[in-house]
Amino acid sequence: MNEELRVAVDRRTNGAILYTKGYINNVGGEEIANRAYELMDADVRTLLLNLRETKIVNSIGISILIEIIEKMIDKGGKIAFCCLTPVIHKTFQIMGLANYATIYENEEAAIQDLAL
Amino acid sequence: MTMAAERQMELTLPMVDDIEIAAARAAGNLARELGMSSEKIDEMTHAIIEACINAREHSGCADNRIYLRFVGTSIGAGPRIDVWVTDHGRGFDPGEARSRRPAPGMAHKRGRGLQLIEAHMDEVDITTEQGGGTTIHMVKYEKKS
Repeated sequence: MNEELRVAVDRRTNGAILYTKGYINNVGGEEIANRAYELMDADVRTLLLNLRETKIVNSIGISILIEIIEKMIDKGGKIAFCCLTPVIHKTFQIMGLANYATIYENEEAAIQDLAL
Repeated sequence: MTMAAERQMELTLPMVDDIEIAAARAAGNLARELGMSSEKIDEMTHAIIEACINAREHSGCADNRIYLRFVGTSIGAGPRIDVWVTDHGRGFDPGEARSRRPAPGMAHKRGRGLQLIEAHMDEVDITTEQGGGTTIHMVKYEKKS
């Protein structure tokens, strides 16, 4: 099975947008984490994850996203998500992500609200 | 009630990385053929993914296989998909697993698989026996009556 996740980074003046493409499982989650931690090490404190091209997540991948959120909160920053499918949005709510990260319907609203 | 368009599929899959995607795609294709909506299919496939991951990660089975059966029927209210996910592993105590579950919406890193399965499917029934394996029977309806 080839379900490798790809992550593209768009650095912005006040943060960064991560675009994911593919399955967020343990490997995909780690790929996102690696990119996010690189950005945090570079003093980026606002991250938006655009999941427009991710249609499947699993609980292991989401647990890694929670770790990323916790680390960012520890550093005084924030992480947000946009462009979730309905089932991913529902899964995020069950897993508790919605309590710690804002979820936007689309990227435009997120960019405006986060001042990216 | 008129029952029509029954489709069945059985799969035996090795417990290798990402094999849950093969299971989910097979079930999704069957559901699509019967006219199930994409949102219901997405919910069902995410539940199947979690069931396969639970089998792979926790069953401790010797044969390293996941046994899946899908039955799709199209009835008056729309398609219904029955899914059985079976492993021949050590079994578990569903009550104990549920008791460890954090409240919905509380961030918690692991132990959410069964909770997600129950949230995404309309009916879930677990048959498990210590040393005798586990079968999760799940049902997804297009329209639950």
